[in-house]
Amino acid sequence: MKQAIKETLEFLKRKKVEYADIRQIHKVTENIEVKNGNIDGISCDTDQGFGIRVIANGAWGFASSSVLSPAEMKRVANKALEIAKASSIIKKELARLSPTEVFEDQYISKYEIDPFKVSLEEKIELLLKATELLRKDNRIKVAEGSMDFYKTEKLFASTEGAFIRQSILESGAGIMATAVDGNEVQRRSYPNSHRGDYATSGYEFIRGLKLIENADRVREEAIELLSAPACPDKTTDLIITGSQVALQVHESCGHPTELDRVLGTEVSLAGSSFMTLDKLNKLKYGSDKVSITADATLEGGLGSFGYDDEGVKAQRVELIKNGIFVGYLTSRETARVLNQKSNGTMRADGWNRIPLIRMTNINLEPGDWDLDNLIADTKDGFLLDMNKSWSIDDKRLNFQFGVEAAWEIKDGKKGQIYKNAVYTGITPEFWNSCDSVCSRNHWHIWGLPNCGKGEPMQTAHVAHGAAPARFRNVKVGVSR
Amino acid sequence: MIGKEKILETLNSVLKKSEAEESEALYIGGESGLTRYANSYIHQNVSEHNSKIIFRVALGKKIGVCSTNSFKKDDLLKTLSSAQQIASHQKENPDFSGIPAKQKYPKLKTYFKRTADFSPIQRAEIVRNICDEAAKNELTVAGSFSTSQSEIAVLNSHGLSAYQPLTSASINLVTMSDDSSGYAEGLNRDVSQIDFKEVAQTAIQKCLDSKKPKSIELGEYDVILESTAVGNLLEWLCTIGLGAKQHQEGTGFLCGKMGKKVMSEKFTLTDDGTDENGVPFPFDFEGVPKKKVVFIEKGVAKGLVYDSQTAFKDKVKSTGHSLPPPATEGPIPLNLFVRGGDSSLKKMIKSMEKGLLVTRFHYINGYLDTKNALMTGMTRDGTFWIENGKIKYGVKNLRFTESMLRAFSNISLLSRQRKIAVPWWGDIGAIITPALLIKNFKFTGKTEF
Repeated sequence: MKQAIKETLEFLKRKKVEYADIRQIHKVTENIEVKNGNIDGISCDTDQGFGIRVIANGAWGFASSSVLSPAEMKRVANKALEIAKASSIIKKELARLSPTEVFEDQYISKYEIDPFKVSLEEKIELLLKATELLRKDNRIKVAEGSMDFYKTEKLFASTEGAFIRQSILESGAGIMATAVDGNEVQRRSYPNSHRGDYATSGYEFIRGLKLIENADRVREEAIELLSAPACPDKTTDLIITGSQVALQVHESCGHPTELDRVLGTEVSLAGSSFMTLDKLNKLKYGSDKVSITADATLEGGLGSFGYDDEGVKAQRVELIKNGIFVGYLTSRETARVLNQKSNGTMRADGWNRIPLIRMTNINLEPGDWDLDNLIADTKDGFLLDMNKSWSIDDKRLNFQFGVEAAWEIKDGKKGQIYKNAVYTGITPEFWNSCDSVCSRNHWHIWGLPNCGKGEPMQTAHVAHGAAPARFRNVKVGVSR
Repeated sequence: MIGKEKILETLNSVLKKSEAEESEALYIGGESGLTRYANSYIHQNVSEHNSKIIFRVALGKKIGVCSTNSFKKDDLLKTLSSAQQIASHQKENPDFSGIPAKQKYPKLKTYFKRTADFSPIQRAEIVRNICDEAAKNELTVAGSFSTSQSEIAVLNSHGLSAYQPLTSASINLVTMSDDSSGYAEGLNRDVSQIDFKEVAQTAIQKCLDSKKPKSIELGEYDVILESTAVGNLLEWLCTIGLGAKQHQEGTGFLCGKMGKKVMSEKFTLTDDGTDENGVPFPFDFEGVPKKKVVFIEKGVAKGLVYDSQTAFKDKVKSTGHSLPPPATEGPIPLNLFVRGGDSSLKKMIKSMEKGLLVTRFHYINGYLDTKNALMTGMTRDGTFWIENGKIKYGVKNLRFTESMLRAFSNISLLSRQRKIAVPWWGDIGAIITPALLIKNFKFTGKTEF
């Protein structure tokens, strides 16, 4: 298809488009799910096709097809032109792109063991063994585990001369125990809720998760939660563990710094952002302990790649510097508003979707606290662990998160476990209450494979480097 | 569109090569276009031509699933072979009841040429008219308008053969001023049945009426939920407990409550994929005909939806609510109907001494406590304060945290008129619901706009 791609781009140039790019993608996915000693599902999927994006008459058009042939590519190119013409009947200003360096390159993500070459038996056995341990108590009604693997081959070419091949391998796994007793349902997960942890890595990542070694603790904590008291309503200090800090960063910093949201182009579904243009370099988003970066170059991060889906090289940029809001996630089109170049965050969920501004690895930079010392330094509060529920308003201000487990902290000591803990707040107030972040020893890049955005809906693979952090005077408990 | 004959012939010829005891092929494919607009211009405009072919095979009770989006025969054979290979590595699944037998289907009109032929230019012209109407009121608009034509077919080695073409048209619209917003939506298999002018006028009026919103104190309020807001809540009820799987696992909100009164006697909730008042479809993704299911009848818990596997476990018949394989989430209802009452939106407002009217909810999450159907979420795009029977002013958005068992027990009025609430699965079903007046709905947080 390489020749067909080149010929189609030449055809589009002859049609006087201002810009065009073609992405061809071949993606293989494998999912394994076990539940209560049975294999609930093993599935594989092969998905391939191409998408053509054009700017013609100052407006955007995009068309895509799963049929790989030169004739189909020509048909789809004409369809994209027809759509751009339709778009141009209601345009505000001409669609234009900020300049970018043009690359001819190849990027292959690093891994040691190709998970698609590891036998199904080995993968199944690992999940069955780990979940068998979860089932050792008959109050665990659902013991489940899953593994997901993705191998994506991408080709990007543009009328500007870019020609980039990328090969990205991703792996993830997790286990969860659901304990039920009468009207009580409690869950514990490992290494994270919502199917576990993910990385741009091979099967060595799965082996390193130590699912079996953690299963006994997960089971016991789920059982303990059945008889735990409900978390009381109070305003108190919180130490939030890394995986929940990661989700907090995702929802309350990652999304509101997406410049397309800020400019209103995601309003109808996901909403807009309180981090408006007038607040750049002015808003005191958090305390001076809070520095947040977007870094697509982090080895192993689920939001890592060589180039984004506009051919812009992966970068590390600052979003929040010592508490001050200093940067957005941008695309070639939106960066023009700031007289900047794109910082390379445009990604599409497949050949059949247009690229949107998506989080890469959005990281709360580590501080210098040891977790034990931080607990010892806390007189009265809770230690909250692992996400259970999440909700935030459409400008990303008012949030409410529920966690799987909470432990009381009294006079510097971790005590009683509580169930059904939720905490709530307003984003800048919350981050300004952060007075401590744990050190790099506690810092981990948490992979989230399920970030939703756009119409038609797109799911992005992103990640967040995070360590446990302390927040003062946060409202806990609104569910009762 | 490939067409019935070619799809069924091709899949049949591939399934004949299967060495498994039972084999099934599911085809989902077609063409779709979506025009997206914001700040009153079109900023994204896309089209897709795609298909998905999923093979499920069984070697005894060992199941393998593999899929591809290529309809080339060689790729289909390769995918079938991979499904067989997966099955051979599987452990036996004791809950697997076998692939469904041959079925008969009701005749339903689900394909409208007008929708299939709707062009990007036609979509753009409708969007332009909406933008022009909003501009007259100094408002901007954002939203999306999509049209699609698809085919769904299921074939299996027991002679089951199902095919249905379908079309869908869907629009959502947010209108915005400096300090307010409004919302309206539309969904129909026949694009000509969507009243775009009404959609625009509703969203425009809501935005105008909610200008200069005021902040109110948190607490319990009587609340009128318009159909979109009711639909937002019902989407989550589908996820956390109207399917048999959550019930069997002990996490669903109807567990242990079958035959008992769980909600107001005014509330009846059903699923009916064959009711042409909704967005009908005759069979599920295993090819089982959709049966009418009553979940709640006059407040009493009555039933759940099933696929083949969950039905086998409970020793009942599938109700025709399977998702595509491997369907590990279990069955869910896609064609919900709430029985209408004898009130109207106007009467509800008139009857209210003090309370709120909610157009729509945002970012609901129902995983707080699934047994009690405890959910949280924000209001959005048109929340109003009502006093002495009149809408007084717009209200800054609020967060609710409330048990839906409690909320739906506190229903005092339902409108006679029912509207389509557009769920995330809009192409293959919808939620048809009246507006509800609910007493003492709990608001636990607020935001700044």
